[in-house]
Amino acid sequence: MKNKNTQVKGKSQKWKDVRSKRCISSIKSSDLNSSPVAVKIIKEVSVKKKTVKRLKKKPKAVAENKKNSPASGYKKSAFQANGCSTFALDDEKEDFQDWREGSDSVHANGVETSDDTEVQGGRLEGEALHHCAQRGNQENRAVLVMQKNETLCFRGKCTVTCLYGRVEVMGFTIDEGQKPYPLFSPASHCPLTIRALGNSEYVRDNRTEASNILQEYLSQASRKKLVKKVTSSSSIILLDPLETTLTHFLSSFTHLSELFSPPVSELMSAVPDTPLNSLGMIPLASAVEGMKTSRSCSDALGAVVNACRGDLDGCGVILVCGTKNVGKSTFIRILINTLLNHTSSVDYLEGDLGQTEFTPAGCLSLSTVKEPLLGPPFTHQLTPDHMIYYGQPSCETDLDRYLESLKSLWRRRPQCRETPVVINTMGWVKGFGFQLLVDLIRFLPLTHVVQLSHGGGTQFPSLTPEFLRTARGYQTHPPAQTALNELAEIHGPPRTYTHLSVQSEFQGVARQGTATHQRSNEHRELSLLGYLSQLQSPDPGPVRPLHTLTPYQVPNTAVALGVIHCEVAPSHMLYAANASLVGLCCLPEKVTSKGGPVVLSQTALCPCVGFGVLRGIDMARGLYFLLTPVDPSILRKVNCLLLGAISLPSCILTTQPGFEDEMPYVTADYSFDLTGAGKIRVFKGLMRPSQMGVQ
Amino acid sequence: MKRSSSEKRRHVVAWLNKAEWDQVLDHLYSQDAALQRFALQRVSAWRGRYAHSTPVAVDCTAELVRCQVLDRSGQLSGDDLVLLYGAALVRFVNLITEKQQGRRARPLRRLAGKLNIPEWVVDLRHDFTHRKLPTLMWCRKGCKVVLEWLQQEYWSRQLGGGPDEDWESQSDGEDDDADVKQQEGELMERQREMEAYKAARDFLVSYEKERYQSLDGSQEDKWLSPFADMSWLLGDIKQFSLDSAELLVDVLLEDGFLVPTAEQLQTLGCDPSEDCGPSGPRVPPVFLRFWLPLLKALNSPSFIHLFLGKLLAELKLAAGGQRERRAFYISAWASEAVLCNSNRHEFRFESKTQRKARVRERIFLNRIQLRWRQLLTACLDAPCVYTPHLLRLILEDMEPPLPQETQQKLLRLCCIYTQSPGPQPGPSEEQKHQPVYTVESLQRSRPRRSSERPEASADLRGADVLAQKATALRGSPWQVCPDKVPWEDYPLGKVPGQSDDPSCLMAETYSTMTVSEEPVELEGGRRQSAAGVSGPARTAEGLLWGQSDFTRLKSGLKLF
Repeated sequence: MKNKNTQVKGKSQKWKDVRSKRCISSIKSSDLNSSPVAVKIIKEVSVKKKTVKRLKKKPKAVAENKKNSPASGYKKSAFQANGCSTFALDDEKEDFQDWREGSDSVHANGVETSDDTEVQGGRLEGEALHHCAQRGNQENRAVLVMQKNETLCFRGKCTVTCLYGRVEVMGFTIDEGQKPYPLFSPASHCPLTIRALGNSEYVRDNRTEASNILQEYLSQASRKKLVKKVTSSSSIILLDPLETTLTHFLSSFTHLSELFSPPVSELMSAVPDTPLNSLGMIPLASAVEGMKTSRSCSDALGAVVNACRGDLDGCGVILVCGTKNVGKSTFIRILINTLLNHTSSVDYLEGDLGQTEFTPAGCLSLSTVKEPLLGPPFTHQLTPDHMIYYGQPSCETDLDRYLESLKSLWRRRPQCRETPVVINTMGWVKGFGFQLLVDLIRFLPLTHVVQLSHGGGTQFPSLTPEFLRTARGYQTHPPAQTALNELAEIHGPPRTYTHLSVQSEFQGVARQGTATHQRSNEHRELSLLGYLSQLQSPDPGPVRPLHTLTPYQVPNTAVALGVIHCEVAPSHMLYAANASLVGLCCLPEKVTSKGGPVVLSQTALCPCVGFGVLRGIDMARGLYFLLTPVDPSILRKVNCLLLGAISLPSCILTTQPGFEDEMPYVTADYSFDLTGAGKIRVFKGLMRPSQMGVQ
Repeated sequence: MKRSSSEKRRHVVAWLNKAEWDQVLDHLYSQDAALQRFALQRVSAWRGRYAHSTPVAVDCTAELVRCQVLDRSGQLSGDDLVLLYGAALVRFVNLITEKQQGRRARPLRRLAGKLNIPEWVVDLRHDFTHRKLPTLMWCRKGCKVVLEWLQQEYWSRQLGGGPDEDWESQSDGEDDDADVKQQEGELMERQREMEAYKAARDFLVSYEKERYQSLDGSQEDKWLSPFADMSWLLGDIKQFSLDSAELLVDVLLEDGFLVPTAEQLQTLGCDPSEDCGPSGPRVPPVFLRFWLPLLKALNSPSFIHLFLGKLLAELKLAAGGQRERRAFYISAWASEAVLCNSNRHEFRFESKTQRKARVRERIFLNRIQLRWRQLLTACLDAPCVYTPHLLRLILEDMEPPLPQETQQKLLRLCCIYTQSPGPQPGPSEEQKHQPVYTVESLQRSRPRRSSERPEASADLRGADVLAQKATALRGSPWQVCPDKVPWEDYPLGKVPGQSDDPSCLMAETYSTMTVSEEPVELEGGRRQSAAGVSGPARTAEGLLWGQSDFTRLKSGLKLF
């Protein structure tokens, strides 16, 4: 494959670099935590497939380049973008084509925008599913034939492998021959939709080939049935059950047992008894809309992706903003996935403390994203390159620290890096929140600002470059001399950016979900559980509750202890820290003790490498016992434990098997009926500054 | 709804145990400034634990006690104190009545009245916010009264202190009205249920009576063409089952109905011994015919689903409770129902008369799609001697079928568990090769298979992983806990040797550390920010003050 690189022009060099990584060869067993047997089978299959593909490619590619018909060229490039390392980006026409493709693929998700002339494929539901899906001949797998533009919307989870053709999920294209991808569609978020894109090859003896492919998965009878459905534009996907340490861990909590089932509102639309149900997928009828992308949304996506591929040399800096629940996170997931169709990695700067994408809440972080995001945040917790523990799920308490943290994260990003950066922001767009946005736009060398709004209007002034000329920020002022000068030194002359306005049109926009698992505090809890599931050993076996694991220990004189979110008397600080979630941080200063535990006098803005549960404190020996999934080679540098307002999910404490009563911090005798027994109640939608400082 | 009264809901609280709660309560109301100060400091730790959900009453109490402590310290002037008291009292009145507030703002006076807060306390609050500041005397008096109110209404009644608690209340502490209504609703519901239950019993008793009468008077053939009275009764029962099918099935499965008593069997002339023939438990034909008219009348897919589900649930109870006869009859009925549904091949070759006879004795004729997965789970959930038989029936008929191998394994496991003889229809070549495992066979196979056994290898690997971690940490203060502690015996927040004394976590001595407030770069990062930092902040550089000076300075500062 490498020999093709000579054809590729300089500018697209970085776009294609590690594309082949996403090819099948690199399946780790951790990607696929089903039974060992299944893994083995898939490995064999994929290896086989890869060789087939390689053989087929070589002669064909040359022929196609000669033909140079726009259609074939376009198809070719799109196909290769996902499948292998060659990536020909020769003429502008192709750029444009690809742009169109990106925008189309996003479009067809929404049924609304059907002004394209292409045949609109319907939702796969009811009887149709029985005809085009078959159970595999071993395990609980199923094979599904989809016609072009047909969609399958579902709840549950599975691993999807594309056997033939191409399908798209959340903006990410999965090609024939690519490795299997895990899909998570829990009740906490909008259901996922798999959409068939049709086949990219144009001359193929589809039936025979499909039959050959299916031979490995299906019995003869079901194979015959399915092959009849295959046409040149069909796609065939293999669906396997998905069990990971995460799902295993979550299933040990009774209140999450229905997490991967449809929520009550969708029960009427759930299609029972299809071949997919037994592997953990519940197809949804078209009454459930699924992810809906508006025209403005897909246009914006197209514009950003195209810019990143074209002029910007791959270094787009995209800031996404909008009010709460307007779809920022979803937009960002689709954007990242779409970018990943073309590049091997995307950088991500987290600026939303409440709804973090890759970390537990309360963290600001900078991550490198290499894998598509095919599920909600709790299914893809990853270790960021840099992280700062802010310690609150919102930033009102200390705006300066918020801005300083983000600036310091940005500074740590290598400037020579030529990957696009996506920046998420808070849903706080009024008052000071708006001023913070203005500051961020001034501080960061943005190329695009995507502003999401709903209901026809904008919820806050359009953050266009013109507006920024006169806008007042929290730290910056209209002339913005200081900040601009500072940046000018680092980044050269100030750049301007493109402002893209997106109208979200999905149902329930700007409202927080009220169903089980859909409230934002439940999302935060899930993210933390997702993080803590990394403590489980990858070996099969029963879930091991946290308290049974062997902890790390460290003398309380060697690590400092600090509380971020409130003032705690130092002599009582261990009462706050015991059995709590702590951020593991690295102070540059050496920690020394004159005796007893070391207590931080004020909040430090220091790198955080992960989280741990302070499992217990041995007062006699002066030891902290800590449970953490952080790698020991990094843990050894940790010299500071920070306590923030992000608490351990209560189920971790209440679900400790083996104890009847007498668990610390757990009681069944607390009555919420008494006056004053609950927390401070804030009227929703009426956040006043007077209530913000209250703790 | 689903809240069972037997299981109390567990909540996470900020105190380690009841002793800590008692200590804080005692100190807060001790009138001794030192103890009160101690309690306030502990409450500050509670706030740290609770993050944003500290109980309002705890917050308010702490704020008011803080005012008292500062007042008694004599360090503040009267005007200072009035402002402090003012903030605490305003917060108390507003926060405590907040729960009563509806969508529209209602007068505080009315809300406070409902809570038995004296009206003048609300007036005092209004003085602070809208009028002339009250005098210190009134502030002290207000604070005292409010603290008493909090003690009476919250502290002394919390954690099992009060007489009239409803423990199973919801966690968010919202909407009491809804709770009361729900309780009323539940009561009504229960009453209705009782009535329906009685009705169901009456129906079945009269059915039995009718059947016995017909048994006395006529020969067998008439059994299946019920009398006129009977058809009325069956109609009534059918009607009843439309609303309360579940209840009806429950009653049916009580002793004396589908599970006959010994006398009933005698009357019908059945052999009362629960003889499990080679084909598993079967309902004696006479007894089956006795109930057939009713079951046929009730027949519908949903009824069969329900019937089978209930049977298996009952079987679980009966199997657990050592009730042989019950288990026998229940599994017999279950197998009858599953058999009715089966589409066995042998039926194809039977003669017409055979077929007629068979059809007559079936509860229902047309195959329905059973909920196989549920059935299978329920069946496996009720292990008893009859389970393997039922399991086999279900597996044979299941749609989609489980893989052959899985079927075999399940059956074998089930047999082992219930200690019944292995699966009888033994076309299992394989079975001979792989006999039922015993401890001995495991021991025998141990030497050669030890590396494959998942558990042992997992343990070994676990130890390996720990050893690797330990190596990676060498040279740092961190280590993997080297002591052999049975951690599973210690819940989170508890360690070996920890006492239940609420003072067990006090840090009598501690060192304070001050750090740079500037963002810090990890090593390798550019140190540009460090250059601009002024001296005192970076103690490590050893500029003006050393660490010890700092500690001394800091310890001189009282935070609380």
